[in-house]
Amino acid sequence: MRLFVSALRKLAPRMATLLTFGLLAGMLVLIDVAVVATRGAVEGGPGRPGNVLALITFPGAYDQILSFILGLGGLFAVIYGAAIAGSEWTWGTLKTAVARGESRSRYLLATFAAIAVVLAVGFLFTALVGVIAAALGASVAGIGLSGMGDRAALEALPEHFLRGWVAITETAALGFAVATLARSQLAGIGVGIAVYFGETFAGLFLPDVVKYMPFHLATAAVGGSTGFAPVPSSSGPVMSTDTALVLVAVWLLASLAVASGFGERAEITG
Amino acid sequence: MIDPSLALATRGLRKSYGSRLALDGLDLSVPSGVVYGFLGPNGAGKTTTMRVLTGLIHADGGAVELLGRPFTRRDRHRLFDVGALVESPAFYPYLSGRDNLRALAASGAPTPGRRIDEVLEIVGLRERASDAVSRYSLGMKQRLGIAGALLNDPALLLLDEPSNGLDPAGIVAIRETFRHLASIGKTVFVSSHLLAEVQQMADVVGIIAAGRLVREGSMEDLLASEGVVRVRVQPGEVATASALLVRLTAPDRVTPSPTEPGWISVQVAPSRTAEVNRSLAEAGIYASGLTSGNDLEELFLALTGTMGSADPDGTFTGIDPSAGPLAPTELAPTGLAPTEVLS
Repeated sequence: MRLFVSALRKLAPRMATLLTFGLLAGMLVLIDVAVVATRGAVEGGPGRPGNVLALITFPGAYDQILSFILGLGGLFAVIYGAAIAGSEWTWGTLKTAVARGESRSRYLLATFAAIAVVLAVGFLFTALVGVIAAALGASVAGIGLSGMGDRAALEALPEHFLRGWVAITETAALGFAVATLARSQLAGIGVGIAVYFGETFAGLFLPDVVKYMPFHLATAAVGGSTGFAPVPSSSGPVMSTDTALVLVAVWLLASLAVASGFGERAEITG
Repeated sequence: MIDPSLALATRGLRKSYGSRLALDGLDLSVPSGVVYGFLGPNGAGKTTTMRVLTGLIHADGGAVELLGRPFTRRDRHRLFDVGALVESPAFYPYLSGRDNLRALAASGAPTPGRRIDEVLEIVGLRERASDAVSRYSLGMKQRLGIAGALLNDPALLLLDEPSNGLDPAGIVAIRETFRHLASIGKTVFVSSHLLAEVQQMADVVGIIAAGRLVREGSMEDLLASEGVVRVRVQPGEVATASALLVRLTAPDRVTPSPTEPGWISVQVAPSRTAEVNRSLAEAGIYASGLTSGNDLEELFLALTGTMGSADPDGTFTGIDPSAGPLAPTELAPTGLAPTEVLS
């Protein structure tokens, strides 16, 4: 428990943490500002998609915000997981803990558990910022806020959050495992980004295979509408959200097993 | 058979990195309650030994005993009584010194919170404990690394180049700290290149070369019995002179310098310097230089067969050039004033 609490304390003030969620929240706010600022063109312009205002129209705005966070958040999560795991090797802090007699796998798993908690908190924080920004945007644009209290939408939110958090945690685990194997932040981040975009392109040719890949499974687990992969694969065979969630959990656990197994056996030099 | 009087022992320790043999049957015996100087030239296997002793890597063969008990892959809890600083100190640069120690204290042996301020006081960092480590100088990071090693009040300290980056006052303070720890029964195992520093600090010395122990014993005994006479002859006379000196001593006590043409190191008591000179002269070989002494540096250079010296082009030979920067004493000529100089 003290390892986990310590890992949380280390992550909270870290630039990677502040940057990841600050960037996501900032982009959400900017999008809402852009929507409000250009609402005249959106509403009146020929050929403009009228549903852009859905970003600030409740209750649909809830889904839009989640969709945005989960879509871009998947990429950010893989980078975040890789950054944290890689720094343990490049800074030599894992070495110091091991030299104090700490269990390598326990240390790595406690670190990842802290990452998962930070992701949950960051996910909620970003969503809250998104909701506030959308509500302010709706007020400025003269759109009513009565939809904010929509019972059905509010009741669905916890499940959406939970599924989204598991999905984001899975992608973070992927980055965490790759960076652990490579003992490098950059390698973990690079491979994570490559998988993120690679899945999309591979989906055009191998939909039956790619549907089992981590980012596509994450998309499927949250209902398929969040665009977890940059271009959602609509051509692939449909998978139930529950099946996808189970497979996401399998990817998550497998990534952690690989990371901790490698950490146990690795020779720590340098 | 475990010797309970030893804080640390290795028996036949072997380790290879691919085809390169780093440790070749290393046997160390570190008594409890001493400062032990662990010496060797670059690439001799010091850091590999440190890594094995702290569980960072695993030996291919041999055995390790820590604090009177076997230490294997499954015995990480033995390290709860060990404090270590291996290679460079490692910290989270964005956290303060105190928060780094707090994070460190959360791993391994349970450590009371008040101990953090105690060790900060010991290493003289209390005033700067709230600053981010990224703003620390090299010496301050080193102090913090030593503080981390002291965190669990260990019975055995394993320190790799602990004086690295410290200013002279810091070196003296750390030396006194180690001496104090030894005086209260702790064992301090120090790997260092600073031979003069080790000579002042260590009770017992172990010298390794090419992954094997070449000499181990108390500093007092080593310096008393292992004097070194260095003699310079014409480069063309080295073979003949060496053969003569071998007859005077023993084959393993005569070492022609691989890097200084004409110089031969002979491990004999300094009182036999005249005898060395006379035996050469009687054979018609006249020494153009003769020095004798019994300081650790002379002994180290003679035992390990290394001599850092500058070529005319300014590059150093006799020392692995890929092994990083060299400590001043590695580069210096013989440390003590010669007892006799012919030219």
